[in-house]
Amino acid sequence: MSEAILEVNEVTKTFGGLVAVNAVTMHIEKRRIFAVIGPNGAGKTTFFNLVTGIYKPDRGSIVFDGVDITGRDPAVIAGMGMARTFQNIRLFGSMSALENVMVARHVHTRTSYADALLHTPRYHREERKARDRAMELLAYMQLDHRAQELAKNLPYGEQRRLEIARALALEPKLLLLDEPAAGMNPQETEDLQRRIVGIRDDLGITIVLIEHDMKLVMSISERIAVLDYGKKILEGTPEEVQNDPRVIEAYLGPGAAEGVQ
Amino acid sequence: MLEVLIQLLPSVLLEGLILGFVYAMIALGYTMVYGVLELINFAHSEIFMSGAVAGAETFILLKGAIANPFILLALAILIGGTVAAIVAILVERLAYRPLRKRGTTNRLVPLITAIGASFFLQDLVRLIEGLWHNAFYRRYPSFEVFEATYTLPNLLGSLIILLTLWLVFWVVAYFFYWIYRTVTRTQGISRKASRGLWIAALVLTLLSAVIYRTTIFGDLGLTIQMKSILVVVISFAMLYGLNWLVHRTKLGIAIRAVAQDAQTASLMGIDPDVIITYTFLIGGFLGGVAGVLFGLLYTLVHPYVGFIPGIKAFTAAVLGGIGNITGAAIGGLVLGMLEMLGGTYLTFLTNGAMGTEYKDILAFAILIFILLFRPQGIMGEQVGEKV
Amino acid sequence: MKKLFQNSAFLSLLIAASAVIFGYWLLENPRSTLAFLLTLGALLAAFMLDIPKWLKVLVGGAILLLVIPWAGFKNSFLFELGVQTGIYAAMALGLNVVVGLAGLLDLGYAAFFAVGAYTWAIFGSKQANQFMPWHIFPLPGAYFYLFMLVAVVMAALTGVIIGSPALRLRGDYLAIVTLGLGEMVRVLANNLDHPINITNGPQGITPIQRPPIDWFIALFDKFGIHMSRAEAYPLFFYFLVLVIIGIVTLVNIRLDRSRFGRAWIAIREDEVAARAMGIPLLPTKLLAFATGASFSGAMGALFAAKQLYVSPESFTLIQSIMILVMVILGGMGSIPGAILGAATVTILNVDLLKTASDYLNDLRNAGFVLDLGIFKYNFANLPNQLEPAKYERMVFGLIMILMMIYRPEGIIPERRHVAEMKEKE
Ligand SMILES: Nc1ncnc2c1ncn2[C@@H]1O[C@H](COP(=O)(O)OP(=O)(O)O)[C@@H](O)[C@H]1O
Ligand SMILES: [Mg+2]
Repeated sequence: MSEAILEVNEVTKTFGGLVAVNAVTMHIEKRRIFAVIGPNGAGKTTFFNLVTGIYKPDRGSIVFDGVDITGRDPAVIAGMGMARTFQNIRLFGSMSALENVMVARHVHTRTSYADALLHTPRYHREERKARDRAMELLAYMQLDHRAQELAKNLPYGEQRRLEIARALALEPKLLLLDEPAAGMNPQETEDLQRRIVGIRDDLGITIVLIEHDMKLVMSISERIAVLDYGKKILEGTPEEVQNDPRVIEAYLGPGAAEGVQ
Repeated sequence: MLEVLIQLLPSVLLEGLILGFVYAMIALGYTMVYGVLELINFAHSEIFMSGAVAGAETFILLKGAIANPFILLALAILIGGTVAAIVAILVERLAYRPLRKRGTTNRLVPLITAIGASFFLQDLVRLIEGLWHNAFYRRYPSFEVFEATYTLPNLLGSLIILLTLWLVFWVVAYFFYWIYRTVTRTQGISRKASRGLWIAALVLTLLSAVIYRTTIFGDLGLTIQMKSILVVVISFAMLYGLNWLVHRTKLGIAIRAVAQDAQTASLMGIDPDVIITYTFLIGGFLGGVAGVLFGLLYTLVHPYVGFIPGIKAFTAAVLGGIGNITGAAIGGLVLGMLEMLGGTYLTFLTNGAMGTEYKDILAFAILIFILLFRPQGIMGEQVGEKV
Repeated sequence: MKKLFQNSAFLSLLIAASAVIFGYWLLENPRSTLAFLLTLGALLAAFMLDIPKWLKVLVGGAILLLVIPWAGFKNSFLFELGVQTGIYAAMALGLNVVVGLAGLLDLGYAAFFAVGAYTWAIFGSKQANQFMPWHIFPLPGAYFYLFMLVAVVMAALTGVIIGSPALRLRGDYLAIVTLGLGEMVRVLANNLDHPINITNGPQGITPIQRPPIDWFIALFDKFGIHMSRAEAYPLFFYFLVLVIIGIVTLVNIRLDRSRFGRAWIAIREDEVAARAMGIPLLPTKLLAFATGASFSGAMGALFAAKQLYVSPESFTLIQSIMILVMVILGGMGSIPGAILGAATVTILNVDLLKTASDYLNDLRNAGFVLDLGIFKYNFANLPNQLEPAKYERMVFGLIMILMMIYRPEGIIPERRHVAEMKEKE
């Protein structure tokens, strides 16, 4: 068994009376494609928000690449190599596609305030590096022809791809994708599927994926965790998950499993 | 020294309480609008001001015709409140609603509009008053019955002192206990420890009551003016009425529903626009009445009179937990008393080095302090952005 | 017809012609507000329209460096207007970083102006002797330039001190807290005359040293232009302000196009996403706040030297609001917008409203009777409360509301594009 890049131990988060994530434990190995599934409101997005530091967990600990990141600032966690996309796309609307990606180069750009004011050689060098890398990533997501377009003017599918390009610009070790195929047509979804596998294979990035499209989930993920009412009810390979009656019940309600069989 | 401080206490607190009622009524307007729109209605201080000015005009115009000051006051309150409510609704219609309809994403846009409306209204009133009277400072006339002073029993003063001391000692005791807890990293507070703190504070109080018995049980000369009594009675009635309205009527339920979730409320057949209008109407009316009471207390009103009370009332709303109606009322009372205490004792303790101008700063200091350490206020719930 | 206006050659001709005509008119009638406005209009058109760059520089240089100084000799009010516009433009550019780029609504911006102004006022006058030993104050005027830097540092420091609690707050709370902090600085300026006299309280501080300009006078002497000291100072400050505006604009553009500018805009657009992309929230906001504050501080020092006098009255809420209105009018996040907004509001406030007031006063004093047949009005009855110059709050309020409802992006909207990097290879 190879070592884990992300270890989530007994993490709990409540909102008022609602327990959105309930003592969830998950260990995710390096270079895996790992899926988190579950019905709407199960706490999947909240789980991502806890891992990326946007919410502080009430209890439990999160270890990323051997470092305890529980309660750390999201920007610090991102700087350590964890990137994400959002379920409801959150691009910087009034910036160009290229600038959106360049924002995520912030931590990798070594320009000081004085460099920026005086336009030192370092400024030019770093700025060009950031720009070139951003263009590369745009090209990788087939968006290079859109570089100068404002993000808010891009069509939906391209916005989703731009979010991935932006996340990749952080040069992450771990990439969290929140419903990346939502709202895509079958053609686009297939395209996305190839890209996700490509990101793992080409760049060696571990991927955690929240997705409702079962075809996509079952065909690319190596392990799947199922959340229901904030609890992890199951974790296993796609085959194990597919054949488990608890999963069907979580999605369709108690007793549904017999009916299906 | 300490004796003088103790002796001053009841009258300072009483004055603070009276001022606090005015703040409470203004604070309600901020908190209600924040509840439904999540907007700091900067123009609310000018809604308050227009009520104050309209009240002054009522008094001045009708003074000759109506001799009974109580009827005059009733009319002034009615007109002041109505004018303020109309101004509030107009601001909503003309400035805020167009933005809502357009559905702007920039969070600064409504805020800037509100600030603009606030400034616009100040000079609009100045213009109207200037054209009308060729002067924009208005004075509430004084009536003998309102100025009449009543002496309150010394026992009441003594009681106030004892209760305050108890509270102060409790706060101090709690503070030390909190440090102890932080150092020893114990979680929560046991019921026994809590009771212990109260009792310890009580013992200290009784001890000081014995030491300073001549001061505490001496002649405190606690007085109250008729107009202050009126302010307290009227505001109390209005606050009570609002509480009834919000909790016992259909309209109140609808307002609370929109405040919680406008989208769901509109699915239930509630028109948010109508509810928002009612919210501005109610908040505006209360603000206007507060304006009249303010004028009654401080006599001089003018187009720029709303700024400072507005900020303080907003502080009160935050103190109580913004969006929370009961909280706003409590926040107003607490802030009124804190301000009076601060204003009196600061000058006193620094030998006049820090004058009363610093008392306005005090409200800000409180505001910043709460926002940093307990942004949900006394009564509010912690809400975070949903990602 | 429309084609014609898109033709660059025609436009160039039009702009050159109007610059010459209006400029000449202004030189002939230096007191004409209309001529002044039209000249500035030509300047603006040259900047905004699509004409060759050399012509822009030519028209801009001619108007700013020749026409206005020349006309200013005949009517020194133009210098006053120019310097005030410049001071406000620099501040608007500073506030633009805070409000326009980083999206932080700061309603207490005048506080930093006050810090800068008092920094030079205290040490550039006898005031510092009140609480410091040695009795070497006022410092000689040459120290002014050093103190402009000190003012920058002081204002930036104040920005960090005020900002580190305030910037942790949500956006709308930030607005009201900065408003309060701005008032606090004014109250402090008003009250720090006791127990130790630092600011001299409400009386203010005067006289304040100015930078020495003998070299400046000597320089012009060489060209056969002889000026007295009193004539030379307005011209000197005018040129100084032009230089500062140049520097400040350059700083603004460079920050805007660096990773810091991108981080600010990212925070403005979406705080959560920005943090998830590795942008540290508080340091980035503080940087914006301190940058904006430092611009204001520098201009404060200049203001103190120019006015010879500072008092708490100059740093009120209405000042902060006025600068905000400049940014809003021009377009939040837009650098040319901030300059245009500053020019418009300053001219409106310093010139047009006052002119209108004077005009109404004249009518009133003359007992002018307006007779429209059915409507007859004797201006002698006009209430003397009706002075447009006293209604700046109404004007500002109206601008804010109308802009937000009808054109929230401002007159010259922000344009985002990545600087086309010169491909050196
Ligand atoms: N910031 C928040 N405040 C209150 N409730 C929240 C917040 N974020 C999420 N929730 C609630 O937590 C539950 C889980 O939400 P979420 O994690 O978004 O589910 P999923 O992504 O699995 O659909 C939902 O009931 C949601 O309403
Ligand atoms: Mg989700």
